[in-house]
Amino acid sequence: MTKKTKKKKISHKQRMQMAQEMAGISFWVDLRKGRLSKYTIQKHVKRTIMMIFRYVILICLGFVIITPLWTLAKDALTHPSALASKTSVWVPTKVSTMFFEMAASRNLMNYVKTLGYTIGMTLILMLLQVTSAGLAAYSFARLKFKGSNILFGLVIFTIIVPSESLMLAQYATFRNLDLFGIIAHFNNGSGINLLHNPASLFLLSFTGMGVKSGLYIYILRQGIKGLPYSIEEAAFVDGAGFLRTFFQIVVPSASGSILTVSVLSFLWNYTDTYYKKLLLAANTPDLALTYHRQLGNIRWGINDATKANADWLAAVNPDSPFVQNAVASACSLLVVLPLLIMYLFIQKRFVQGVARSGLGGD
Amino acid sequence: MKNKNAKASKGLSYKRLSFEKKTAFWGVLFLLPWLFGLIFFFLKPLLMMVWYSLCSGEFVKGVYKGKFVGLDNFKYALTVDADFSRQLITAVTEMLTNVPIQIFVSLFIAILLNGEYKGRGFFRAIFFIPIILATGITTVELAETALNEQVSESVVSAEWLIELVQSSGIPTQLTSLISGYISNIFDVVTTAGVQILIFLSGLQAISPTLYEVAQLEGCSAFETFCKITLPMISPMIVVCLVYSIAESFASATVTETIYDVTYAGQPAFYGYGAAMSMIYFVVAVGCIGIIVGIVSKGVFYYD
Repeated sequence: MTKKTKKKKISHKQRMQMAQEMAGISFWVDLRKGRLSKYTIQKHVKRTIMMIFRYVILICLGFVIITPLWTLAKDALTHPSALASKTSVWVPTKVSTMFFEMAASRNLMNYVKTLGYTIGMTLILMLLQVTSAGLAAYSFARLKFKGSNILFGLVIFTIIVPSESLMLAQYATFRNLDLFGIIAHFNNGSGINLLHNPASLFLLSFTGMGVKSGLYIYILRQGIKGLPYSIEEAAFVDGAGFLRTFFQIVVPSASGSILTVSVLSFLWNYTDTYYKKLLLAANTPDLALTYHRQLGNIRWGINDATKANADWLAAVNPDSPFVQNAVASACSLLVVLPLLIMYLFIQKRFVQGVARSGLGGD
Repeated sequence: MKNKNAKASKGLSYKRLSFEKKTAFWGVLFLLPWLFGLIFFFLKPLLMMVWYSLCSGEFVKGVYKGKFVGLDNFKYALTVDADFSRQLITAVTEMLTNVPIQIFVSLFIAILLNGEYKGRGFFRAIFFIPIILATGITTVELAETALNEQVSESVVSAEWLIELVQSSGIPTQLTSLISGYISNIFDVVTTAGVQILIFLSGLQAISPTLYEVAQLEGCSAFETFCKITLPMISPMIVVCLVYSIAESFASATVTETIYDVTYAGQPAFYGYGAAMSMIYFVVAVGCIGIIVGIVSKGVFYYD
């Protein structure tokens, strides 16, 4: 063991030295000995300035992105007694998870139940959405028929049209779902009421009209178009049908863009409140809906929570704006946390997938 | 199941079809779910909205019972209602000021993220975080709860700089526009996640040989950008424009007003809410159509 690690260390050092010589050190040596032309020096200086510029901008903007998350975490993790303290600007002076426990408790977010429901729901919606978008995208990319270009124009149209402008009619459609009188014919002359029923969301997602479905069709079509057609052709020649070609050849080859679309679909279904507000019951244990509802009257939520737990009652005053802010921060973090954890795991593949999927390029 | 049935019903004749016909047949079959949604959950609601907006009425057991009133609702929205037209104009002007800066910033960030440098994966990971927090609730709350304290402070402390610039004779409109952008930097960066993504994938698709040729021919960095990067990325700019404008309209305050009028008000306002939605819809689609129509004239397609 020890021998091996030693060997590795030496080789690593040597490699580092070589790399340094090649990259920068040799430049300084050459410069001192006057071996360099004016052009090389100019180039090197230019490159260094660009590098510094790049890092400064990236670090500053990265700071802007990270700061709110950090501040939320700081507020939520502060001990109640240290809340008003002026010294805890970046790091809390006294750490406790009390606000998290309070936010996750039954009186506020009811976290375990809502999280389970939301993740299950979002996964189903994601699967339905990606399936229908994938089928449609394959059709638009490869299975051309008369009028398919016009229909693709309609896909773009569905992306452009703000879903808010169809709110009332979509509400009415699901209040009384009736497909040209077919359902009413079997159902005593009236349609089905799908309001306050998750089936309405499933139906929307599977028919490609859910949260930003048009965008997914667009992305997947671009991804499939970028694949070499010869593999599919070979499959057809070998006697594979269209379904088989799609599932065994196109889906695995387009996995990059499918991953991108799946991640986006999961994220947007998870945070969507528009469709959920419109079509689900107000007391649905959905994370985004609960968060929205609780934040509106956070004071009463804290009040109820402290009544249920003696420790919290002793430590926390529901009327204090500091406490309310801390609990609200904890709630926000609880909503975002599953997404951040998920992102941490698939981040590398997602970023690579985006780079390779050829999201655009027509 | 559906596919099998369709196949069986076609029976013998399916096998005798030419490959083109089979392709078309499966093309339609693969599109069926989407077509179903397009007809029942998009086109039909669109027509219903047009009908609602021309009526005044209410819902009886989920069925709309309305009296035809012609264009009265539209007239009221555009001439009598003071709030609506004002908010609509605000939405358009906000779109016109925010979208260009958003496109510019996201292209800029994408170019910075794209090159070869240490810690590339780390920075990419950070700049995609806004996509996670992109839609709906979270950004708004994050911006309101956490950012008010910090960024507003930094903006306040930058006021002396603004004063200095103003006193040096630059018109106040310009400085207020720029200081507005600076204090909006959080909004711009957090809503630019998807655009950065689109631009980054577009940049990756540019063949490196083009850059090699440019270097050999002695192009400067600026020339390379103008003659290679910009034309090659121009289709992406159109995609981003469509997306940004649509997003900008979706997050405008008009939507809240429409929601309030339609749901929180009396049932008699359904027709009026529908009319407002239709105006909003026409303005949004019109804006995208005009802007994309102008911009796409300068788009370069490499084939």
